Amino acid sequence: MNSSGVLILIPFIFSLLSFVSGKKWSSIIALISSVGSLFYFLLLLSAYNVKTNYVAFGFYYDWIPSIRASLSFGMDAANLLVLMLTQIVVCLAVLATMVKGNDRTASYYGLIGLTHTFLNAFFSAQNPMTFLIFFEATLIPVYFLILNFGGPKRKQAVFKFFIYTVFGGLLMLLAILFYQSNMFPQLRLDSWADFYQYKLSLKYQYWLFAAFFIAFAIKAPLFPFHTWQADLYSQADRPTLMILAALLSKMGIYGFVRFNFFFIQVVYDWFNYITLLCVIGVVYGAIVAWRQKDIIRLIAYSSLSHIGLMAAGTMTLTNIGMQGAMFAMLAHGLAVAGLIFVADVMIRRTNEHSVDSFSGIARNNPRFAVYFFIILLSAVGLPLTCGFIGEFYLIWALVEFKFYIGLVAALTLIFGAAYMLRWYQKTMFGIPSSNIIGFQKLSLSEDYIFLILVMLILILGLFPADWIGFGQFAYKYMNFIPDN
Amino acid sequence: MMLALIILTLAGLLILFLGFSGMRNVLLPVAIIAISAAIFSLSSQQTFWNHYLADMVQVDGLSRKISLILMFAALGLLPFFNLFKNRGQEELSDFLGIYLFAILGSILMVSALNYMSLFLGVEILSISMYVLAGANRRSILSNEASLKYFITGSFTSAIMLFGIGWIYAESGSLSMIQTSGVATSMMSFGFIFLFTAFALKVALVPFHFWAPDVYQGTPTLFTASMATLVKIAAIGAFYRLVQLNHAVLPEWINWYFVLLILATLILGNILAVTQDSVKRLFAYSGIVQSGFILMGFLYQSAYVDWTMLFYFIAYASASLVGFIVIHFVEAQSGSDSLDSFAGLSKSNPGLALVLSISLISLAGGPLTAGFMAKIFILSQSIQNNFTALAMVAVISAVVSMYYYYKVINAIYSKSSDQPWSVSIYYRGLLYVFTIITLVAGLLPSVLIGLLK
Repeated sequence: MNSSGVLILIPFIFSLLSFVSGKKWSSIIALISSVGSLFYFLLLLSAYNVKTNYVAFGFYYDWIPSIRASLSFGMDAANLLVLMLTQIVVCLAVLATMVKGNDRTASYYGLIGLTHTFLNAFFSAQNPMTFLIFFEATLIPVYFLILNFGGPKRKQAVFKFFIYTVFGGLLMLLAILFYQSNMFPQLRLDSWADFYQYKLSLKYQYWLFAAFFIAFAIKAPLFPFHTWQADLYSQADRPTLMILAALLSKMGIYGFVRFNFFFIQVVYDWFNYITLLCVIGVVYGAIVAWRQKDIIRLIAYSSLSHIGLMAAGTMTLTNIGMQGAMFAMLAHGLAVAGLIFVADVMIRRTNEHSVDSFSGIARNNPRFAVYFFIILLSAVGLPLTCGFIGEFYLIWALVEFKFYIGLVAALTLIFGAAYMLRWYQKTMFGIPSSNIIGFQKLSLSEDYIFLILVMLILILGLFPADWIGFGQFAYKYMNFIPDN
Repeated sequence: MMLALIILTLAGLLILFLGFSGMRNVLLPVAIIAISAAIFSLSSQQTFWNHYLADMVQVDGLSRKISLILMFAALGLLPFFNLFKNRGQEELSDFLGIYLFAILGSILMVSALNYMSLFLGVEILSISMYVLAGANRRSILSNEASLKYFITGSFTSAIMLFGIGWIYAESGSLSMIQTSGVATSMMSFGFIFLFTAFALKVALVPFHFWAPDVYQGTPTLFTASMATLVKIAAIGAFYRLVQLNHAVLPEWINWYFVLLILATLILGNILAVTQDSVKRLFAYSGIVQSGFILMGFLYQSAYVDWTMLFYFIAYASASLVGFIVIHFVEAQSGSDSLDSFAGLSKSNPGLALVLSISLISLAGGPLTAGFMAKIFILSQSIQNNFTALAMVAVISAVVSMYYYYKVINAIYSKSSDQPWSVSIYYRGLLYVFTIITLVAGLLPSVLIGLLK
């Protein structure tokens, strides 16, 4: 049985089922599909031994022999954490949609399922061509999700996003085709190891890296390429946004994790410029987030800030940076999904989007306030939550590499704490405003979503050692360091 | 080969006579049987009666494959002719007969081995299309389209004849085989004229000016055949010509192609972005697509035919769906502007789905035939050291996304008060095309195996 192929197949089959099933059944099918893939993933995880095999549960298909392209999937130390995040967040997003009420048609769940399929395929891709195909394919269901179920200004927002990302994806396509045509005709590009092995001359590497960098920087997004982000986030349906902010933004960082080691010399040469961009993004995102009144835009800019830090961490090309970036992807994914669900709860109950229009929720609804607080602490990186350890490693790596860059990047923690706590203080404390009086208690399923999130945040925060260790193995394999 | 031509001619004549005698119900079956028989006679490699052709026409691997693609596309479009059944008394038989002659011309065109038969093929195809462009006699736009097409078409023929004349004067022969060994500088002069005539037929920028008007005025079903039949036949014949003569063509001819490609990709896209009529948009999109295909002409050493054939299939299946859906929308709302597509997803999800997939395929979205076709063409041109051109092509592909997705946005916008109805029979046909698009995108190696 080809295991990682099945992980892709489960959501795919169920998404087709959701499309054809009626309004009533589609949500249940989506729930079965997402929970099923989560359990299937956990099954794989329990059978996975990182010490004995790097790539496990492989699925290989000789797709287009004429251009030496194959489809290849598998689980390895580098994609394990993001795959786990994918299964969790999609589950939560489906739950969040069901909480929201049943105004969502079958096509919504079908599209979520397709997104899930493509994300699983993307993260478990084992060669550049597969990586690229699903990098682009993910866009299509997301495009239709936002186009069909987004806010009033969704058209312009999703268009901007689409054009930006497609441009990056096609640049990457050119780079991969160029690489392939410059390899010896008999060589194939079946795995990452093949890719790492055949290095082109440095002159070409600069161009190739530039193409990859732009593609990932748009997707992540990093500082000058981020202009689509806040618009899109504020227009997306919020369960979709959970997937968007937690998973799609990780695709770029994951790309850096995969490709940076191929371009070691280029990354070293350009390190200062790239990290400068990232660090500008970190500070800029934080400052703009401070200025935002709209909750969703606040989350968008805070996300920009954190993503910048992760990207900078991957650029150090160190063991520590690698581990930090990979763990931070997981942590940030959980935290941002949580924050969006918090925002969803608040917005759904009052129809207000502005931070200023809430106050005193804690008095009215203390349990919600506690959940919010724990998620928020993770988002600002407090020790003992899972947000801490990733960011700590990232800043550690940066400080070791270039002290002042690390120093500036560390500011994100302070800024983050500042705007997040201000958001919390404004909305939760004080005298309840008129629209808070009728603020309904959390429903049972909302409770479950928060409980799952909070438990994950605490468990991963208290026992991070096993999880963060995967980064070390990925680092080893990508650098061909033998096991000892 | 000969048999296929004879079958199509006789069937065309038969349909005209059947039309006179009022047997309207058998017209379509006769046409379908005729085309199927022609497909069968081409795919079985019989040489029956071929010697009568005296090397004027010959079917080789490439021309057989192009002809088969052409005929399958024609066959796919044929059932939609039923929509004309309720119009006039004789019209259906006229259209069908002329349509069969057009197919005949296009096959002749892509299998010609002599400049005379090439010219004959071009004329048979073109004259049939002039008539079909004016099929909607009561519409002033249709009349205009027909006239415009006729005038530019005659102009094209003149240029082509001038080029052929020059080649004849230099080499003393009209046989492509005999002239392909003659390498004088004056020969290239003749080729430039010949190629320009083809550029006019294919509607490459800057020879594209007639296409949008003609496409818009022509009844949409015939626009579909114009966009597939004429375009594929013209590009196919053009490609064969370049391939046959590539040993004697001078080095700088590549620059002629590069200029055409650049102009087509850049200007075609810029013009397409501003369109509000979806039919015109498809006309410009077809122009840009042919610019993309033209990148296959630039190879120095080995010609790889299957990339081009794959592109034909991807393009034909997607644009046939596009035009047929436009036909239905136009028939029910009376206009082909973007606004009349609004709310299609609400009232007819099936139609919206097939149109979206075909648009995604034309735009080069992943996991569709169009994406694969673009990958193949790009990878060929990078291998032949046209990386900068590939870069321009990629940027133009991004720009083209803009207008394709503009249509998708319109389809999925929420307003809808139009009750659309398209019979399941026609929708089923559209689903078949869409499945071809998806299968070619997901499992391209199957198709490549057939094309190789």
